[in-house]
Amino acid sequence: MRPATVLGVLAIAALLVAPLVLPVFAMTLLTELVILGLFAMSLDLMVGYTRLISFGHVAAYGLGAYASGFFLLNTEMPLIVAVLAAAAMTGVLAIGIGWICTLATGVSFSMLTLAFAQLLYAIAFKWTSVTGGSDGLAGIPRRPGPFGFDLFSSKTGFYFLALGCLLGSYLLCRALVNSPFGAVLRGIRENEAKTLSLGYNTRLYKIAVVAVAYAFGALAGALYSPFAGFANTELLFWLLSGQVLIMVIVGGSGTLIGPILGAAFFMLLEHQLSSYTEAWALFFGLVFIAFVLFAPEGIWGLARSWFGRSQPAETKATGNPS
Amino acid sequence: MSELALLLNQSVNALSQAALLFFLGVGLTLIFGIMRIINFAHGTLYMLGAFVGYSIVHATGSFWVALVLAPVVVGVLGLLFELFILRRLYQREAHAFLMVTFGLALVTGEAIRLIWGSDALQVPAPPALSGVIFLLDEPFPVYRLFLASSGIVVAIAIWQILERTRLGLLIRATSQNAEMVHALGVDVNLVRSGVFGIGCGLAALGGVLAAPLVTASHGMAATAVIDAFVIVIIGGMGSFLGSLIGAVLVAFVQVFGNYYYPDLALAFMYLVMLTVLIVRPGGLLGKEA
Amino acid sequence: MTLPAMAASIVTPGGARPLLALNGLTKRYGGLIAVNNVTMSVADGEVRAVIGPNGAGKTTLFHTITGVVKPTSGTVHFDGESITGLPAHTICQKGLSRTFQITSLFPQMSSRENIMLAAQARNPSRWLPWGGTGVFSRAREDADAVLEQLGLAPVAERPAGLLSHGDQRLLEVAMAMAQSPKVLLLDEPTQGLSVEETGQAVETLARFLAASRVTVLLVEHDMEVVFRLADKITVLHRGAVIADGTPDAVKANPSVQEAYLGGME
Repeated sequence: MRPATVLGVLAIAALLVAPLVLPVFAMTLLTELVILGLFAMSLDLMVGYTRLISFGHVAAYGLGAYASGFFLLNTEMPLIVAVLAAAAMTGVLAIGIGWICTLATGVSFSMLTLAFAQLLYAIAFKWTSVTGGSDGLAGIPRRPGPFGFDLFSSKTGFYFLALGCLLGSYLLCRALVNSPFGAVLRGIRENEAKTLSLGYNTRLYKIAVVAVAYAFGALAGALYSPFAGFANTELLFWLLSGQVLIMVIVGGSGTLIGPILGAAFFMLLEHQLSSYTEAWALFFGLVFIAFVLFAPEGIWGLARSWFGRSQPAETKATGNPS
Repeated sequence: MSELALLLNQSVNALSQAALLFFLGVGLTLIFGIMRIINFAHGTLYMLGAFVGYSIVHATGSFWVALVLAPVVVGVLGLLFELFILRRLYQREAHAFLMVTFGLALVTGEAIRLIWGSDALQVPAPPALSGVIFLLDEPFPVYRLFLASSGIVVAIAIWQILERTRLGLLIRATSQNAEMVHALGVDVNLVRSGVFGIGCGLAALGGVLAAPLVTASHGMAATAVIDAFVIVIIGGMGSFLGSLIGAVLVAFVQVFGNYYYPDLALAFMYLVMLTVLIVRPGGLLGKEA
Repeated sequence: MTLPAMAASIVTPGGARPLLALNGLTKRYGGLIAVNNVTMSVADGEVRAVIGPNGAGKTTLFHTITGVVKPTSGTVHFDGESITGLPAHTICQKGLSRTFQITSLFPQMSSRENIMLAAQARNPSRWLPWGGTGVFSRAREDADAVLEQLGLAPVAERPAGLLSHGDQRLLEVAMAMAQSPKVLLLDEPTQGLSVEETGQAVETLARFLAASRVTVLLVEHDMEVVFRLADKITVLHRGAVIADGTPDAVKANPSVQEAYLGGME
């Protein structure tokens, strides 16, 4: 059995028994990590597999959070339905967002994603009736499920909901990147011009991956607002877009697992360092620059090289023909 | 206020906004012209200029000193960043640049938060520039008139430097054909570092000048970098004149759009951006290697 | 009768309607005319070489045919249907595959994966978001067959970026072939190959072309390759056609000799 698979099984087992072992405050952190890990993994589909650098992924997160918050506050939807509906709705919206952003490529694409996130940020402030303006939405309930199914309302129950979403999403994403569709994404990443000349309508693929990435990102956001009990404009601030991009790169882009590790690394650093210094975020930014310069394959990529894997996780500059 | 006075007043607003945008955009344009990269940190450096300006004003009591010193400080920081970090990336793929300058933006943003705190800061305009003056019996804020005129002055200065001086020749030549310039014995790396520093300094100048108007705050950066980017595209990458036209265009759209449809003001900005990117499909791709 | 219709109905000596018909194709870049009023037709199953001195516009001609570049004027007809101005991927879907003068591959993917990606392109399965590439074991077998045909089987697993230059050129041809095209456009396939590699490549190509009878448009500098593979030759000079015919006719053509062959026997 490959070392990675063994590690994976151990990790999942650990995550499953965590509620029995960890104290309450640690469980809260772990739940937040699961949500953040899902958020980061969703971005990897764009950044790691298709080389679509997004500076506005917070748009997905915020949309998901506000949508599920809105549904839970204003309708009778059970928690799990609200979360899934918010994710699905965002995925559909993201088709439009992707359609517009893919009108451009390269830096222009990245700027457009940022612009959209900024637009949503501004709308969140203005559209007070729906979003609560600068106060946001508060007191978001974890409404019991269909037929009185109340498992997810407790802390532990919610943790398992989030974990289930993460694992389920991981399996779906893994299937996607290993599929023929996924092969085309990797083709676009390595040589878009060639992929186009082979007959692939690369724009449609890009729009599709944006929609899927936003849907999973929104799933994370949709979990966050009932987790925290509130949703506010901080969830749409561009800083978070940057932080999640850093999680992907530092963790190891193009691996799905790397970004989750990146999220863990981020939270670890935040938790450990913030008690010593206020400068932890700055430190994180410096770590990011260092990784881009010296270790673009990220933590997971480094780990895999050490274990002698033949496929590098992150694309370096084109290989040299002899 | 009469219709004409209103129009004039808004036009002055637009021109002063254009000046600020010009300072932002011309720096980014120069950097792109020489290095073929978009400096994502540009908006943050604009913001840094505002905060550094605040500190200098409080240390020296003089706005004018801040106006000169802050751009120099930020320019030097930019130069050092290019020297020690960006230089390593010239052989790498394009998105590495984007991410490193993005990292710079984040680090700088956090540094600003650490040094100056999270609140917005008031930078007072110098007494000579506050208040209003009366033209055609209508009041016009002096500071905005000052901004508009400094925009014109700096634009002319940069134009003359680019056209008439050896430095300007060097910059124009390097942006067109770096190899040729290198073959002629010029240290192209030095030119690049220098232009990067100058570009950053110009952004900071914009920030200092903007501060009395908009206060030094943390939201400045994201909006600024998008604005600067739009101007660069409208203007045509690396084109000085283009950045001037772009700045004026964007400023007028912003100011008049904000006046007539205040709720849609932000949407206008993104509409402009979208239109530009659609009309010039691929945005920067045509000029990137 | 309109020009396009006329072009489509040109009868070649073999009696077949031309598979690929160019009519008055022109591409201008500002003041520079890269492709100048090119009219030619390629019959089904024919191997047509396009030769000419450097800068004659051969690669630009390919770009205008395959949709990488929009022609300024003129038309391109494929199998009777106009493909002028269509996007590159649409044209490829109709059955035209091409290789590039400057090697363009997927460097991190293995040779086999490169071919599978190329072959998958015209298969509806390319949209499938699940299933892994292992499900389509036929795709893997087909890819291996193509690799075998071109002598690339030993490097099937190696990342394309690590192949020798010669193998990379062959892989690029293999990818185009794997798409089972109706028309194959090869842009200097032997460029950068050693004499020995060129010989091997040419023999492999000749075998493949004889077996599949695919229509080929071939840009080449190496005249030995041209004479070995081509049924007919079109000569370009400064973007315009200056000669068009069988290899012997072209060899004998004085204006061609003047512009290009320079007294070659």
